Amino acid sequence: MQGWMEFWDNFIVMLPQLTEKFGVTVSIFVLTLLFSLPLGLLLAFGRMAKNGLLCLMSKIYISVMRGTPLMLQLVIVYFAPYYVFGIKITNSWRFGAVILAFVLNYAAYFAEIYRSGIASIPVGQYEAAKILGYTRGQTFGKIILPQVVKRILPPVTNEMITLVKDTSLAFVLAQVEMFTVAKQFAASQASVMPLMVAGVFYYFFNLLVASLMEYVEKKLNYYR
Amino acid sequence: MKKKILALMMTAAMAVSMTACGQQADTAQGGQDAAGETKQEESAAGEEASAEPSSQGAAAEEGRTTFTVGFDAEFPPYGYKDTSGEYVGFDLDLAEEVCRRNGWTLVKQPIDWDTKDMELSSGTIDCIWNGFTMNGREEQYTFTVPYVDNSQVFVVALDSGIATKADLAGKVVGVQKESSALAALEDEENPDNIALAASFATLNQYADYNTAFMDLEAGAIDALAMDIGVASYNILQRAEGQYNILEGEDGSERLASEQYAVGFLKGNTELKDIVEKTLLEMAEDGTFLKIAEKYSDFGLPESICLGKE
Repeated sequence: MQGWMEFWDNFIVMLPQLTEKFGVTVSIFVLTLLFSLPLGLLLAFGRMAKNGLLCLMSKIYISVMRGTPLMLQLVIVYFAPYYVFGIKITNSWRFGAVILAFVLNYAAYFAEIYRSGIASIPVGQYEAAKILGYTRGQTFGKIILPQVVKRILPPVTNEMITLVKDTSLAFVLAQVEMFTVAKQFAASQASVMPLMVAGVFYYFFNLLVASLMEYVEKKLNYYR
Repeated sequence: MKKKILALMMTAAMAVSMTACGQQADTAQGGQDAAGETKQEESAAGEEASAEPSSQGAAAEEGRTTFTVGFDAEFPPYGYKDTSGEYVGFDLDLAEEVCRRNGWTLVKQPIDWDTKDMELSSGTIDCIWNGFTMNGREEQYTFTVPYVDNSQVFVVALDSGIATKADLAGKVVGVQKESSALAALEDEENPDNIALAASFATLNQYADYNTAFMDLEAGAIDALAMDIGVASYNILQRAEGQYNILEGEDGSERLASEQYAVGFLKGNTELKDIVEKTLLEMAEDGTFLKIAEKYSDFGLPESICLGKE
């Protein structure tokens, strides 16, 4: 009984703090998506370009970004101004560096998802569009892209859910977010309970993300 | 028109991916350089800093308004989140008092222990003040005078029957990665400790003390090597009277002793001098002991050494 009372007391203190820092977690999530989704599309164009150099560059970018740990990329982006250019960095750069590193990393994954979507559209559609007098831009914007978006929703949802959980890496740059607070509580209370509570937060947020994407999928499920 | 827009988009895409590629190469190389030449850079920075301040540094310190302390917020009782959710601890209380006396605003910046050096040299924190062991690090940082005599000890379950270091032979022992306890066990100049470490069945390294202590509680490991202050805190929080700290009659069963001090960027003597002076004043007028007594449950007043000769 006493154990429960203690649990409850700790829980009451912890909840508002976790909720507050969950705001940081959500802003990392939203800002990363906002910038990496368009950047990923540009990268996919580069990756599929006929220009050999452009294609190679995009390939190298994707290969490096997917092939090295996000944790390392965070450290490089954050400390590069100082170690490479000798500019003293300030505290406010923390959050900017977190977003930049996440965007650069996730864009590489999104690029490949876009590429698979674009490649899945039959060549016949391009030919038909050409005969009907569509320009290349019109063909892509009005015919190809809407179909691509529908097809790539499931893998994009996958990445989004991974992103929610990856946000805890931000503490490598001392950016305090929800999981950091949970770990600190775990250390001071000498218990795993705060980590469990953090897990519940992640789960429900991901449930929301997944349901939202399912709804969008359903809405776009015309012509079938 | 549409074609032009598309062309424009493609060029933009090219530009973005090119610059992105270029940047990547730059930073990767930069990272390598930084890793390879850290020593050189550090010593260069140190020289610069020690050459400059005499003319500029002191003046720069006069205008200081904030004081940013980097600390590991999972290190009770030195720096941690208390039950009300505030960052507290012996070291942070001391820093608060130092700031009050110098008219600075204290900024408590929890950091990832793995990147503490980069935080310090890039200027995002002013010092590391967090049960920071100075022994063996004198070359890398500018330290104040030590203020705590700390020991590295072994924590064992009371019913394990382990009473001396010799009893640890063939046992599974845990330790935090990059900790002073691990450094003590790997100290090449101390053959006793090397032999001791060799006598263990295995030495497990943990990311944090919380997990390590859970492993000890669960019985997966037999002993845990850690700072005495953190050990007392954890025993008190978990199950008082079920664990034992190996000390021996005269402390002979301890793993190692060491001292805590505040660490500044190598060469930053101006700021160190101000903080050190304030700390000594606090020791003199009794404020230092008063703050230590707030943490008497964790054995702090007995281990402080500032102002004691």
